[in-house]
Amino acid sequence: MEKVLITGISGGQGRLLARRLMESYEVCGVDREDWEGHPRGIRVHTVDLRKKKFEDVIRTELPTAIVHMGFIRHFRSDSRTRFDVNVRGTKQLLDHCVNHGTQQFVLVSSSYVYGAFPENPYYIDEDAPLSASRSYPEIRDLVELDSLATAFLWRYPHIRTCVLRPVNLLGYYTHSMIGQYLRQRWVPTVMGFDPMMQFLHEEDLSEAIALALQHGLQGVFNVTGPGEVPLHTAIRETGGTAVPMPEPLMRPLFDRLFKMGLISTPAGAIDYLKFPVTLAGQRFVEATNFRCLFGLEEIFQSLRR
Amino acid sequence: MAARGSGFGTALGDLAGALLPLSARSLQRELEERLRKAPARVNEFGFDPYGMSPEWWRRVLLPIVLLYRYYFRVETVGIEHVPQGRALIVANHAGQLPFDGAMLSAALLLEADPPRIARPMGEFWIPNLPWVSIAAARTGALVGTPSNCAHMLENGECVTVFPEGVRGMNKLYSQRYRLQRFGMGFMRLALGTNTPIIPVGIVGSEEQQPGFANLGRLGELLGMPAFPITATFPWLGPLGLLPLPVKYRIHFGEPILFQGDPTDEDAVIEEKVDRVKAAISALLDQGRAARRGVFR
Repeated sequence: MEKVLITGISGGQGRLLARRLMESYEVCGVDREDWEGHPRGIRVHTVDLRKKKFEDVIRTELPTAIVHMGFIRHFRSDSRTRFDVNVRGTKQLLDHCVNHGTQQFVLVSSSYVYGAFPENPYYIDEDAPLSASRSYPEIRDLVELDSLATAFLWRYPHIRTCVLRPVNLLGYYTHSMIGQYLRQRWVPTVMGFDPMMQFLHEEDLSEAIALALQHGLQGVFNVTGPGEVPLHTAIRETGGTAVPMPEPLMRPLFDRLFKMGLISTPAGAIDYLKFPVTLAGQRFVEATNFRCLFGLEEIFQSLRR
Repeated sequence: MAARGSGFGTALGDLAGALLPLSARSLQRELEERLRKAPARVNEFGFDPYGMSPEWWRRVLLPIVLLYRYYFRVETVGIEHVPQGRALIVANHAGQLPFDGAMLSAALLLEADPPRIARPMGEFWIPNLPWVSIAAARTGALVGTPSNCAHMLENGECVTVFPEGVRGMNKLYSQRYRLQRFGMGFMRLALGTNTPIIPVGIVGSEEQQPGFANLGRLGELLGMPAFPITATFPWLGPLGLLPLPVKYRIHFGEPILFQGDPTDEDAVIEEKVDRVKAAISALLDQGRAARRGVFR
């Protein structure tokens, strides 16, 4: 039985994935936090990705495949830690893959790396440049770790490396930024803008990762969900009330509040409420026959209070 | 001058007379019927993959149709040339505000069989404008990038383009009915996707808001694509850009299917573009010959 190691196994998505993979793989994982009451048969190591002890885990577990999603996507910790964990942590993890004979590496990146711009085409494919840092410098580490993995893909062709870029992820267990945003009672939006947005259910992402492992995918793939709706429709369907704010007020306000540590969303995120970042998902579908089980209605339902 | 004045008077009279007996409800029903027949791929929330919403159309269609039938009194000729399935509709552009685009969309929805929801290819700055960006997306417009356009055509949509762009929209009155330089992207797309081109001549927009000067620099400072000086703009504020009740005629030409390599050099593509330009010029001449004055 092949062995899969999941980084960030104690997070909502990590737990879902571990349960999804349990039947067909031997599953172990690492996380900075413990997973209390994890299923028997899954080994959870409480260890920091940046520490020497992490390499010991890989050395003893010797996983055949690693799914990497244990990085920091929120802005509550300081930027130094974020960069350290995300970029240096990923680099070290890639080195461990080479040194300890890992055969397969799956990175769970995101659609945000493409960036939100007025000139974005409808349906961005995988070959588009990753421009997020142009308008949203706070997430340049996410762009960088995505690029690290794609470079790795070409440098070590004998390791089957797969970069998945899923669209806005929603679900009961996942604490995605878009999920927290939509869970608010009053949801700030930019007055006069209502971009189309794509959503994916957390269970479908687990399924997509499982398919990537099963097919031994090599390459970069967008993972799209059942469709797209305007932002305000998503807010209404998840039970919130949109509060449109004039952009000239919103940007300085968010900037100020973020710097004071009162909110955890930098002003750069506002562009994602203005311009569409809609991805073309055919490449992944053609490679794996992926079909999502959850429709938009069910995805929104999973967020309702 | 007297003749023109009386033409204007007749136009206003037509408008008032037409509005009175109008039963808005039955018109709305007729429009909804046409919208239902128009092919569109909408999801369970009523949006197509590019953010177009028939529900939105339903709300804005009545005023547009009132403009179409009673303000501009549009006469459409040759609409049968619009094929089913993918089509690239290429028209002239003028009049400071894109009423010609709205009337072309209205013609496709009201007169074509089956009714078509036009997909205009817009300027790059449209997504930056609050509210305009929403209105554009919901009525089916997209930023005119090659990939957007190709995507639409491959999905069998009816794409409308104005290759003159701002050059045409903000040209001076003295340049009316003189086609400005055409962009060439549309031809490469037509060749690449094997799409028939339907040339269209729009008569009327060129006189709807005569521009006497264009202070491009000032426009740039204000973040506008142009700064026209007309009889009413900027003197009356934004209202000064509203069109005169000119008579519109929209002439659709026969489809032209071009063959060739979409990556050819500009000179080769330009030759084909010139054929489209000539076809539009001929349609414009036809349309101008058919009307009796600017307002009738």
